[in-house]
Amino acid sequence: MTPTTFITLLKRESWEHRSLFWVPLVTATLIVLTAIISTNVAGSINVELDGDDVNFFATLSQDGRAQAELFGVWMSSLIIPIIAVTLVVLFFYLLDSLYAERKDRSILFWKSLPVSDGATVLSKAAMALVAVPLWVWLLSLVTGLLVFAIVAVKVSGSPIAPLGNFHFGTWIVLQLTLLQNLFIASLWYAPIAAYLLLVSVWAKRAPFLWAVLPPALLIFFEKIAFDSSYVAKVVGRRLSGYFEAIGPSMRIDTDEAGTATLIDSIRQAYEGLSAASLLAEPAIYLGLAVAAIMVFVSIRLRRWRDDA
Amino acid sequence: MTTELIRAKSLRKTYGRDTVALDGVDFTVGRGRIVGLMGPNGAGKTTALKAILGLTPFDGELTVLGRDPRRERDALMQDVCFIADVAVLPKWLRVSQALDYVAGVHPRFDRKRAESVLDKTEVRPRSKVAELSKGMITQLHLALIMAIDAKLLVLDEPTLGLDLLYRRSFYEALLNDYFDHERTILVTTHQVEEVEHLLTDLLFINHGRIVLDAAVENLSNLYAQLVTTAENAVAVRAARPIYEREVFGRHAFIFERGAIDAVAALGELRTPSIADLFVATMSRSAS
Repeated sequence: MTPTTFITLLKRESWEHRSLFWVPLVTATLIVLTAIISTNVAGSINVELDGDDVNFFATLSQDGRAQAELFGVWMSSLIIPIIAVTLVVLFFYLLDSLYAERKDRSILFWKSLPVSDGATVLSKAAMALVAVPLWVWLLSLVTGLLVFAIVAVKVSGSPIAPLGNFHFGTWIVLQLTLLQNLFIASLWYAPIAAYLLLVSVWAKRAPFLWAVLPPALLIFFEKIAFDSSYVAKVVGRRLSGYFEAIGPSMRIDTDEAGTATLIDSIRQAYEGLSAASLLAEPAIYLGLAVAAIMVFVSIRLRRWRDDA
Repeated sequence: MTTELIRAKSLRKTYGRDTVALDGVDFTVGRGRIVGLMGPNGAGKTTALKAILGLTPFDGELTVLGRDPRRERDALMQDVCFIADVAVLPKWLRVSQALDYVAGVHPRFDRKRAESVLDKTEVRPRSKVAELSKGMITQLHLALIMAIDAKLLVLDEPTLGLDLLYRRSFYEALLNDYFDHERTILVTTHQVEEVEHLLTDLLFINHGRIVLDAAVENLSNLYAQLVTTAENAVAVRAARPIYEREVFGRHAFIFERGAIDAVAALGELRTPSIADLFVATMSRSAS
């Protein structure tokens, strides 16, 4: 397989599933529009701060490090809605990717060309786990800069002006962290992606039901038969694990916290931005092994399946 | 260098426990031939093609261009093209994307050639397959295939569902602009009349067995048709023809060449048409 072949296969995916690109794009656009509208509607800025907040922003304007960390935390949160929406789109993409070609019999056209089943299945996995995450990263980068520009213009000269300072070093580190996080997300979700590919290549009809019902029934019967919920825990942890790993950034309690505690919690949130902690879990490697097996089986099934 | 492109020996394929699609089939396909693999629906044509294209597992021996399609399919497809039938181009694909795709994955695709073929049709580069008529989709598919420098072209009911004009021009383009005696074409169809003038070899298949395997140029040595009157029919029938039909009071019998000598004087001798021979061998193998 040449690089040209593989790039052509990725292009093919983007032609068929254009939503993979425009749904994250629309989400990013909505974030920027929301920033524009919410600042415009508020008109000229009139920030009234109560005692604690006055202290907080006074401290912040003196503390460059805390400023940079707060900047990093709120910039990083912009990617979360884009990721969430993209995960839903990717779920349906993977389920459809090896099913639609059998349903419309176009598999006979694809198979009439010198492209191996391995290259085909891997191109679909690469689309979901590499190409689309890179697009999400690029979108979040641009979204962050645009939203920052809107905020910076708005808050200049106000008591919360420290929010409008651009921290270049932090920004660079943040972009690299987000890129690394997306890479880790791909590793973490690889077994789910491979499972969806497997259902997609295997199901005669209704791939959505085949994807969702077996784990649901397994959880249900485990509960009935053994009164345990081991499967539910494994599945639940796999689904939520990534968001737990990047989670602290979303839990800043600004109420009832003193300035020092607030700055501490920002620091904690900033230091918790990386999902690298997942790399220390054996589950991620176990998941990758399972994913490799399921991808291999999917390739074999596509090779020998004969019902088109 | 062998002139055999395809060699099948004891080729066998069953579906489930009871359905025998190919029942120990032997045949060869030579280089530069246009071979018609013909039989009624369910005879095993498509199964044989799928085996040749490495799309389905099978028992027995089969080599295509010296390769085993089960193990070396990826390499094989560099030299083999096929059109399964008109419905297989996906609806979302644009004509320009189809060209981009084949150009991207096939090292022996000549894009300019495909474009010049398409220029002579109503198919526009921006169109999606969903917007094209069945005939235009076939034109697009044929343009893609004709621009690939392949050694073997496999066509499975390529004109199914097309009107007469498109069917004609499909085979004309194939014969005039594609076939060059270096290439080999294997075509299945159950519409015999449509291809009989272009075939060089016949492979008739029924119930998973080959019932006739002959070069068209040898047909007159193998089979003969005797047309005679109703009075002579009884005598001719005694010589065990393989097929009889009656048209306007005249009786036409098809014989294997050796069996006809005794009664040859009783009527008019001809070489049977491929369509008649098809019906003859199919009705014989059915009984």
